[in-house]
Amino acid sequence: MKIKVNGKIKEFEKSVNIQELLSQNKVERPETVSVQLNGRFVKKEDFQTTFVKENDELDFLYFMGGGRA
Amino acid sequence: MAGFTTRAIHAKYLKRDSHNSLHFPVYDSVSFEFDSAEDIEKAFLGQKPSHMYSRITNPTVENFEQKVKIITNGFAVVALSSGMAAIANLIFTVASRGDNIITTKYLFGNTYSLFEKTLKPWGLDIIYTNLTQAEKVESIINSKTRIIFFETITNPQLEIVDIKTLAWIAKKNNILLIADTTITPPYLFDSGKFGVDIEVLSSTKYISGGATSVGGLIIDNGSYDWNAIPKLNIDAKEYGPFTLVTKLKREVLRNLGACLSPHNAYLQSVGLETLPLRADKSCSNTLEIAKFLENQSSVKRVNYPGLESSKYYDVAKIQFPKGAGALLTFELGSKKECFKFMNQLKIIRRATNLNDNKTLIIHPASTLFCEYPGKLKKEMGVTEEMIRLAVGIEDIKDIINDIKQALEALR
Repeated sequence: MKIKVNGKIKEFEKSVNIQELLSQNKVERPETVSVQLNGRFVKKEDFQTTFVKENDELDFLYFMGGGRA
Repeated sequence: MAGFTTRAIHAKYLKRDSHNSLHFPVYDSVSFEFDSAEDIEKAFLGQKPSHMYSRITNPTVENFEQKVKIITNGFAVVALSSGMAAIANLIFTVASRGDNIITTKYLFGNTYSLFEKTLKPWGLDIIYTNLTQAEKVESIINSKTRIIFFETITNPQLEIVDIKTLAWIAKKNNILLIADTTITPPYLFDSGKFGVDIEVLSSTKYISGGATSVGGLIIDNGSYDWNAIPKLNIDAKEYGPFTLVTKLKREVLRNLGACLSPHNAYLQSVGLETLPLRADKSCSNTLEIAKFLENQSSVKRVNYPGLESSKYYDVAKIQFPKGAGALLTFELGSKKECFKFMNQLKIIRRATNLNDNKTLIIHPASTLFCEYPGKLKKEMGVTEEMIRLAVGIEDIKDIINDIKQALEALR
């Protein structure tokens, strides 16, 4: 199964939920990350029950600051 | 869920300290380096949780924000250089020229000055009304109203609004409800439970642990749909519930530069751990002093919402069940008597601040409100005979004895 994570195509053997995806991708400080699935924000309490499927687009974002306005 | 104090003391660090320090260290560094150009790009794009530059984020400041988030159950927390910076940055983020804010003239003097002298010329309309009369509030809302702003207990008038009613009106009209909770910080008041969207406060007061440092907080309870504000439409589509914190950290706070210093964040993180102990003590001291003053013939009037004689007693009990704050006012015969009384005090300090560990006294009309003409002072509920006492955590008998001897000197 192919899905796009932060703009890059990644392959997964089976369907995974967002919690597992955070762990498999070794996302730093998962408690502070926000997740957008196909452009929609996923609530933290839904990370375990939300599964990704073929061709989904997933973005992990941190709202710490930075140069973008 | 663990209790407030336990959460404040044992809040987990977001990243394990390299030396297992039990107090989160002060990171007094402006800049933070990266292993590669790719990493720094990722950090700037928000794809890597890294600190870059302390005007925008800093580990010690972030740790303080995280602690506040844990104790308040807030959705997002931003720490700033002062309470006034918190109010100003918040308004700059959500309001535009031509928009209006509904509030009351019963405001902290500097907040009124910010509204009248800074924001009005910038193009913001400020509509003053009586916030305790819900029908008046609802009748003046229009399509340009963005914010209803109030203080949980006004300073120094000590007026209390029915917050759930105000929240109901705000929600019905898609308007942001902002509460300045400086007098009743988290622990004394649960803003989310009463429908407040955003809490702003001066952490200089209770939270700093005894007036150790200046700071401010914006606490987003996550209850507001940012799509309702035209200025934030595009951001809301991209950042969803994170719109306010993103707009602040990536634009307004970054550009205005009102960052909390790491040293002050450290002091305030430590202060947070003893907040409930100090709040309990200062509130109970205030109630005892208020009861004592009510029985003194030379005192014309005592105002404290924790007194049964206060018209706000019932609403205070509901909204602030742990205590009605540590601020009271009382009136003597004249300004001259007020000054004589203040000059006679031996323990209580003549200074402007509140929620210090020390009890502080001030004559509001000649100090905090000195820049306003007499008529306006009257409209703001500030009289020449009024004294404001910000009660500390000393042994109560010592403070009462100090007041007693100063009152005796008036005879």
